[in-house]
Amino acid sequence: MPEYIEKYYTLKDLWKSVKKLPSDRKYLAGGTDLVISLSCGNDKSSVWLDISDIDRLKEIKEDGKNIFIGAAVKISELESNPLIKKWASALSECVKYYASPSIRNTATLGGNYANASPCADGVLALAALRAKVMLNLYDKRRVVDILSIVKGPKKIDLKKDELIEGFIVSKEERKSIFMKMMHRKRFGIAKAGLCMCYKLEKGKLRDVSISLSSVAPSVVRAKKTEEYLEGKNPSKAQTKACQLIREEISPLTDIRSTSDYRMRIVSVFLSRALCSI
Amino acid sequence: MKNKFFSFIGKPVERVDATAKVRGEAFYGDDLIFPGMVYARAVRNPRPRIEIKKISDKKAREITGYLGVVTYKDIKGVNAWPVVMKDYPFLPEKEARFHSETVALAVAETLSAAKKAASLIEISYKELPFIDDPLKALEKNSLKIYGKDNIFSSYTIKKGNAIKALKECDFVVEGEFKTNYQVHCYLETQTATAVPEKDGSLTVYSSTQCPFYVLDAVSAATGLPNNRIKVIQTVTGGGFGGKEDVPALVASHAAICAMKFERPVRLAYDRKEDFMSMSKRHPSWAKVSYGADKNGKLKACVVDYVLDGGAYSTLSPIVLWRGAVHAAGPYKIENVFIEAKAVATNKVPCGAYRGFGQPQICFAQESLIDDLADKIGMDPIEFRLKNILKTKDETATGQKLDSSCGIKELIEIVRDRSKWIKNTPTSIGDKKRALGFSCTYYGVGLGAGGRYLDRAGAFVNIYKDGSVKVDVGNTEMGQGALTVLSQIAAETLNASMENIRISEVDTSKVPDSGPTVASRTTLMSGNAIIEACAPLRERIFLTAADMLKTSGQKMFAYGGYFYFKDRKVSFSEVIRECWGRRLKMSEQGWYVAPKTSFQKENGQGDAYVIYSYSADVADVEVDVKTGEVQVKKIYAAYDVGRLINPKLAQAQGHGGILQGMGWALYENLVIKNGIMLNPNFTDYVLPISTDAPEYDISFKEKLYKYGPYKAKGMGEVPLIGVAPAIRNAIKKACKAKINSAPMTPEIVLEKIGEEI
Repeated sequence: MPEYIEKYYTLKDLWKSVKKLPSDRKYLAGGTDLVISLSCGNDKSSVWLDISDIDRLKEIKEDGKNIFIGAAVKISELESNPLIKKWASALSECVKYYASPSIRNTATLGGNYANASPCADGVLALAALRAKVMLNLYDKRRVVDILSIVKGPKKIDLKKDELIEGFIVSKEERKSIFMKMMHRKRFGIAKAGLCMCYKLEKGKLRDVSISLSSVAPSVVRAKKTEEYLEGKNPSKAQTKACQLIREEISPLTDIRSTSDYRMRIVSVFLSRALCSI
Repeated sequence: MKNKFFSFIGKPVERVDATAKVRGEAFYGDDLIFPGMVYARAVRNPRPRIEIKKISDKKAREITGYLGVVTYKDIKGVNAWPVVMKDYPFLPEKEARFHSETVALAVAETLSAAKKAASLIEISYKELPFIDDPLKALEKNSLKIYGKDNIFSSYTIKKGNAIKALKECDFVVEGEFKTNYQVHCYLETQTATAVPEKDGSLTVYSSTQCPFYVLDAVSAATGLPNNRIKVIQTVTGGGFGGKEDVPALVASHAAICAMKFERPVRLAYDRKEDFMSMSKRHPSWAKVSYGADKNGKLKACVVDYVLDGGAYSTLSPIVLWRGAVHAAGPYKIENVFIEAKAVATNKVPCGAYRGFGQPQICFAQESLIDDLADKIGMDPIEFRLKNILKTKDETATGQKLDSSCGIKELIEIVRDRSKWIKNTPTSIGDKKRALGFSCTYYGVGLGAGGRYLDRAGAFVNIYKDGSVKVDVGNTEMGQGALTVLSQIAAETLNASMENIRISEVDTSKVPDSGPTVASRTTLMSGNAIIEACAPLRERIFLTAADMLKTSGQKMFAYGGYFYFKDRKVSFSEVIRECWGRRLKMSEQGWYVAPKTSFQKENGQGDAYVIYSYSADVADVEVDVKTGEVQVKKIYAAYDVGRLINPKLAQAQGHGGILQGMGWALYENLVIKNGIMLNPNFTDYVLPISTDAPEYDISFKEKLYKYGPYKAKGMGEVPLIGVAPAIRNAIKKACKAKINSAPMTPEIVLEKIGEEI
């Protein structure tokens, strides 16, 4: 249990005082992973920095080219926000599969990303959307590709005190499909997941991106399959694409499913996605 | 209007405990606070099997608020927990036999200090070889961890000559079946508080189904006589069998700590330790053969049934006995040979779980009966109807069913309601859909296996103002016992429901009434209440008749009032008059189950006094590309005698079906190298409301003449037949025969692959 929780309302205040706090400090947003980590005995930090009410982190806004989604935006908000529905519909679609309503009301998109889980539904959608992540360290920003700093389960390449400020999704008129296999109909963790964003021009696929969850140490993109599908008729390309996507992954057998099953599901999902277009 | 003369029996009376529970006003074990209370936390075995060298709390002593460690040396009584056998020590002395077994306890002023201290108490140990597979444990040259053969107990049931008869059959099927654990997942984890009183006695508050088991265990552990211990059951947040035996262990640990530090001690488990160390449904293995003649008449049944008991025997012997007695299924078969064994392994000890050893063998047996019908080329329901037990028929143990056997009607009800005749698989895209069937029977009460415990007491005390306090020895654990027993008391006394109060059990107020298990509470405590109420009723009715000046003519009693011509008096008015006449207004009731004639030597005789019955049709859809199984609808029919409360009976149906579905499809506890890998709700997946099927539940009330208002027992029957009904539906839908549970999508898909 941390000795205390320090709450912030602005980034300015945060950067002003953060260095003075004990060095075993950790950010707290929704807490739906952090509190569990604590009760499992895995969190030993002495202070938590509550960033869930920093205004900048709760923003969802647009400019000419992009939309910005703050890291402390609650998962439940993604479902109905008009900007997200219009420009990042994969994120809206993931919500109904995402944990339980009570978790969705507490958990944040930034936390889903920071936890670096291979089965993260929000990250699966962000990856297919080719989102970028905006990081902030002592008021200095850098913007990187969403998957570039995710190194494996619970492993993310952030510098000390570096804060996930939000996500940038470019405004593209793409459609999306979100599919998730879990052990029961709702409130489950993905055995495998697939998210696909694409355009359809005169019956041909364009600008395809496909992300997969729970089949590798982190959420991954199926780049060879994406390349193959470019310019193809979706139903005609189905057989080859399903074969290709299986070659791109080598999932593990663990407590939630088997390697073989995950392979099969990814290919069934891709086939069903392509059939539905 | 068959029940028109009953005021409360057969009526959908609202639960008497509903309002308090819904409003959060019920006090559960961990809500109670006592002055000076401290907290205990278990120090657990880190490996599957160890020799304990030394326990040191050197580092823990630095924790503020730490009071000390408790080991077996602090046990003032006997270090053997009295369950069926006495092989489980309260705290191990030299050897701990399963991962996460409590080895010692840390006690501290606060819960967090106790947790911290427990994590700092060091067990020095030598790791010992262990065994985690029950079939390997049965091999001749296996490591021996219990007796000469690793067998806790075994039973044989023999009728006719099944081996010989099987050879002469025209159709024979044989199959091997496996089922996994099931975790009770009650909302409230194990919780006990032991409070030393000023006079040297001890009060124990326990979340339990069996307060008298707690009494026996605390008495053994502390060395205090029974009359210096009072066990009070706290409002209990779910049991399902998981609060039958183990609460006695938890409460004993709290009591040992309380005696040592002379302070009230709370011991409340978190979910992880509850998963890892508390009772479960036994994993099972079974090899079953059935044989029939060319006309489809069942001739022989051979069963080899093995339960994985875990490290200590706990309830395994009696769980096994119930499974063995019912192993041949509810059919008329002349030749039966059943062998059953409960085996020791170095894993968490298994015990009671709704169905008590029957669901496992029923899964095997009802699956195989279905396969036999296929082989003969008969409709599975027609085949069963041809062989089903009827009144005057004999069960596998040679028990003649003399009354209240409605299974044939149940089968016909679900057949008709599900439009079974049209059971041809349908298919839309990758989804195939079909119906599957199963039927079961369930011996109500403890039967011959627990005959010495099968009695119950009740104390009924009517106060001057007409309010009535009823004390019973069986518990409410969420199943509705308080409501049903209140209905029985109100009906018998012609009081109103509001007059009656029954609360959680206090062992100092009623005699030992046995455990609250085996669907026996309505039957046993109900009969005890009726017996206590009978003389009171006589006094009340005579007084009422006097007050109404009936001069020997018949008056009418209904709903807490007595009527004669245009006059009426209320129950409370009559009670005031009774007190005025100095009549005795309190009585004890004592009900003893009728004798059973079962012989252990050959497994023949009357095993139970009466049976409840069920039939299920599962309407199931299988996605043949993903292996996902969706249960669309369950048609179920039950014969549980008279329904005391039809609304609660429906609810028992819903809960039992969903729990049966969970075991059949979702719940998959994984133990690898003796260590549990998913002791949590993230990875131990329970079905939730979105997975629930549509329920179509019917009842056939075959009255049982010795039951309270002719009721039998309800709690367990709805769960037992669900898994095989689903399995048989999957088989019908996509030809995949799955002989193991849970039937996860991975397994279903693999089997579909084999069929194509």
